[in-house]
Amino acid sequence: MKDLKHLLYFENLLMEANNELVQKGIEDGNKCIGVTCENIPEPLLNIPGAFSVRLRAPRTGSMDMSTYYLTNFLCEYSRALLERAMEGGYNFTDCMITPDGCTMMNRCIENMELLKTMDKENYFYEYLEIPMKGDDNGLNLYVVQCRNHIIKPLKEKFGLDTSDEALRKAVEEHNKVCELIRAIGDFRKEDNPRITGYEFHILTMATYVCPKYLLIDKLAETLEELKTREPDYKKNYRARVLVVGSEVDDIDAIRLIEESGAYVCCDRFCYGSLPGRNPIELNDEEDVLLQICRHYLNSGQCPRYMDTPKMKNRREYVNALAKEYKADGIIYQQMKFCDPWAYERMMGTHALRDQYHYPVLSVDRPYAVGTSGQLRTRVQAFVESIEIKKLQGGDK
Amino acid sequence: MGKKLGSVKLGSLYTDGKVRNRREWRGVQDTFYDYTRWLGIMGMLGKFMMKPNNIKGFLRYRWMKNYLAVPMMIDRHTQGLRGPQLRIAHEEFDLVAKDVALLLENLFKGDRNTGNNKEFSDKVVLMDENEMTAVMMGFPTLKGLSRETPSVYVSVLLNQHAAEHYIDIAQEYGLPGDVCPMPETEVGVSIADDFPVLGACAIQCNTTCDGSLLGNGVISNRLEGRDGIPCFQLAAPLRHREEDVQEYAAQEIRNAIAFIEQHTGETWDWPYYFECAKRVNESTRHRQEWLDMNKTDYPQVVGSNLALYNETNYMAICGKLDAFVQADRKITALARKGYENKTLVCPEVRHRAIVWGVQSHYYMDFLIWLQNCWGILPLTDMLSMVSTRIIAEEDTPENREQAYYDMAWLTENMIMRNRTHGGYKVLLDELWQFCEEFNADTVILWEHMSCKALTGMHGQFEEKARERGIHLIWVSHDLFDPRIISRQGVRDQINRYMRTVFQEEPIDPSLEVLNDDNSW
Repeated sequence: MKDLKHLLYFENLLMEANNELVQKGIEDGNKCIGVTCENIPEPLLNIPGAFSVRLRAPRTGSMDMSTYYLTNFLCEYSRALLERAMEGGYNFTDCMITPDGCTMMNRCIENMELLKTMDKENYFYEYLEIPMKGDDNGLNLYVVQCRNHIIKPLKEKFGLDTSDEALRKAVEEHNKVCELIRAIGDFRKEDNPRITGYEFHILTMATYVCPKYLLIDKLAETLEELKTREPDYKKNYRARVLVVGSEVDDIDAIRLIEESGAYVCCDRFCYGSLPGRNPIELNDEEDVLLQICRHYLNSGQCPRYMDTPKMKNRREYVNALAKEYKADGIIYQQMKFCDPWAYERMMGTHALRDQYHYPVLSVDRPYAVGTSGQLRTRVQAFVESIEIKKLQGGDK
Repeated sequence: MGKKLGSVKLGSLYTDGKVRNRREWRGVQDTFYDYTRWLGIMGMLGKFMMKPNNIKGFLRYRWMKNYLAVPMMIDRHTQGLRGPQLRIAHEEFDLVAKDVALLLENLFKGDRNTGNNKEFSDKVVLMDENEMTAVMMGFPTLKGLSRETPSVYVSVLLNQHAAEHYIDIAQEYGLPGDVCPMPETEVGVSIADDFPVLGACAIQCNTTCDGSLLGNGVISNRLEGRDGIPCFQLAAPLRHREEDVQEYAAQEIRNAIAFIEQHTGETWDWPYYFECAKRVNESTRHRQEWLDMNKTDYPQVVGSNLALYNETNYMAICGKLDAFVQADRKITALARKGYENKTLVCPEVRHRAIVWGVQSHYYMDFLIWLQNCWGILPLTDMLSMVSTRIIAEEDTPENREQAYYDMAWLTENMIMRNRTHGGYKVLLDELWQFCEEFNADTVILWEHMSCKALTGMHGQFEEKARERGIHLIWVSHDLFDPRIISRQGVRDQINRYMRTVFQEEPIDPSLEVLNDDNSW
């Protein structure tokens, strides 16, 4: 296929946390809000005068210093972020808003605070209690916490407009990005897709780490380009896979899987497009904040949701996606040392194999997988096993 | 060898096998007392095994064989003790043993695999391990029973190797080996179908950590999917010191109570609740008094005497049994007497220590080893530093509303989770406050290697201790799995520090190196 016109541009945006568009957003007079978890409703951080940057640590090398503070038993994502923070890599942010999503992320941010890693004057940290159940009580908590720990500080400390109109405007902008990503992502359903999983991953990730208003034009142009893009004459994958699991922000992760013979037709992981890039539907009757929180509560696929309906829904959702995107198999991946996904991967793997009859590759992986020969071998073997099953007419 | 503290070289009692070579001679009076209590425990075990359901349970459940080690477990926790401390230990441990025996009896009575008493089972609400049982304080006719407590938690206290089989099962099923072995073991027991099956419903809770929260999912999957026992997941807020989570927490309690009422047909009994609340408060006052004594030169209720008893009384009992308040009174009386007589707990107090972090379950008697071997007095521990708030205890309309917040507060402040959750202040900053209050020069910091909440503060603990001139001794372990770090491996970490940094010799050198890898 011909290269996407803006692919290199998007790739370059992902080479640094403080990328070109982040700098432009700050120059435009916006406050930059650091965030680490999908459970923080994004539009609330993208009201007029502010934009959010989901933290990554691209090109992570040594994590020696953070390993001293966090030990090597904490996941590499949390260690990579702390290391980068200690290096001054997030000094472009004006505050950090984070939930007690998982213990490791919480400790990572607390260490950033205790080590005084951010050098801006009046820098502040906000920690949110976010619900662990998808019920009415959880929703009430979500609203209270977002009001007290996002809306209030942004208004009081930065003087930002946090009115309903401002929130609606933020949702509108958020939805524009989501609709573009969804439309681009839909091309992955094709039998011979005109976009690779890698390309889609790059586009999606960029939407988490840049001011959205600066991305829309190029995303729209890319969508237009894709409408007429000619796929390769012959499809160049051997199996379609759905990647499920914990945070993936490494640009090499999906590339490695696709280089091993698979096509990543769908992404159900933090930093992915499902459900993170589903538009938020607002009505005119209810409180806007309530509606935003409800969207996140209902669509959240984080394993920290502990109630039975949410737990069941996580597996049903993966099954529904696999069907919609015609996946031949599922790669259930988990960042090494992540407790929540360790359990969820185990349970999800068994459910998807035994109840839904998918071939499942269940793996843990490091934060940066680019050079992981082990993972490459596992994926190659998985693709072969799917091919063999197809040839032998076995189970799906 | 005799009545005097430190007169026995305790290491000489160890063998390479499961048990010690003989009982400790503590002088006529204390030996007689200790021996009669030992006979009492043996009698209790004998009576327990006379009941058919219990025999069935013993034969059906692999973990039951660990209960053969009950007398030995109590002996381990009374090593070297004399006078009031010996009596305090027996008051506590014997009562806890009795309570666990009753728990087992009830489990086997209702268990579909053993007693299969459906009428009884319908009055059982399954509770999580490590869960505050406050939501049962208003249900006098129901039994809140924990399956995890006897099968997992107590088993490892009895036999250091008890969890290994179940850890292996969980890992064979696909769970990585880097998660906390406690929920991992619970998951292993569930996968192996080694939990008794009973109850009208179950109340699970996000107790201490992400692992425990997620482990519940595996168990509820089996409970609801296969056994048909509905589960309620009680989500206690993590940032428990924040005002803006308390309404949510109280509503969770209301919902849990409504769930129990719905599935058992029972209704909440306010007078009974406030009766329990009075007992909770009395136990809190006793605990506070013991802690206050420990701030002086003559601590009395220390180490395991404080830690293990408090775990049972604070969470599993939570005011529901009068026997524990009576034990509290006896303990306080003994402690006061010891304090007035300026009784020392160990032969020589060289260091006053706060024990922080999550203790090794397979080596719970390590605290008493610290006293006997090196003269390090464990004044208090992280798990004992729980809520001292007095809850509403008079039955008034206002207090009935307040009660939901009180139960929520207790639930949020479960043992361990009140420190592992809630931000760094409750884990890190308050430790130094306690060091000051208790006049401690040393912190024994259990580093449970799979506990992400603790290890995530590793560097901060070191730096802050250094700033304050406090000796911080790391003791790494893997909670339930002595294959990772053995008991001697645990002891070696202390031995090294004492010899190299403090440059001290042990009080009892016979305890410095022991071959207890095969011991219960």
